[in-house]
Amino acid sequence: MDLFAAFAISGSGMSVEKTRLDVTALNIANMHSTRAGSGQLYQPLTVISQAKAGSFATAFSQAQNAALGAQVAEVRATLAAPRLVYEPGHPDADAKGMVAYPGVNVVNEMVTMISATRAYEANVAALNAARIMATRALEIGGN
Amino acid sequence: MNIDPVGFIPPGQDIAATAGLADAAGLGANGVARGDFASWIAREIGSVNEKIASADTQLQRLATGEVENLHQVMIGLEEAKVSFQLMVQVRNKLLEAYQDILRMQV
Repeated sequence: MDLFAAFAISGSGMSVEKTRLDVTALNIANMHSTRAGSGQLYQPLTVISQAKAGSFATAFSQAQNAALGAQVAEVRATLAAPRLVYEPGHPDADAKGMVAYPGVNVVNEMVTMISATRAYEANVAALNAARIMATRALEIGGN
Repeated sequence: MNIDPVGFIPPGQDIAATAGLADAAGLGANGVARGDFASWIAREIGSVNEKIASADTQLQRLATGEVENLHQVMIGLEEAKVSFQLMVQVRNKLLEAYQDILRMQV
């Protein structure tokens, strides 16, 4: 593990949290979309992240930069049922006058957004700690 | 009760092999010099230069809007900065030692 292993690990965490935020923004943006490109109704998405395959012990003892960190495993559509609203005049209304909106739960999306932002900040804090450690180490023997 | 000592280097590891110092300093496993300090420092300076050039490329890609992640650019810049500071510190130590020798009474 070299000096910049912590940088790479924190960077991978930041990438995952940014993806989470992107997906949340996509869900919120499509909150009122009654059509999607494929003709199906938009399904809210969720990000599933996983740890990278590398083992910390191996990377540490063999002095090599194995693939450590986190990564996005998949972006999966949730099974949220569509929200049915009675709007007879709507062009996408069915025979009974019901319009199907995506089952985006705004409260959940806001909580996901806040937690992704905080997790991103935590990654930045870890990276800054590693940077400060390196800078302090360079001060050894200085006057 | 047996408590394992807490150490920075895992037990049973050769320190030089763990940190990759044997190769970096041009020393073989038995400590015999293979290269010299000049080639080591040249290699290190080359690697610092590489990091700075890579940070520069990333900045250009950021300016042209090709970069997906802002934080990767910042991390690249930070790596370049710390590498450069390390190189400057090595140079300072080297010059300090050199001047000490110059001031030596003969």
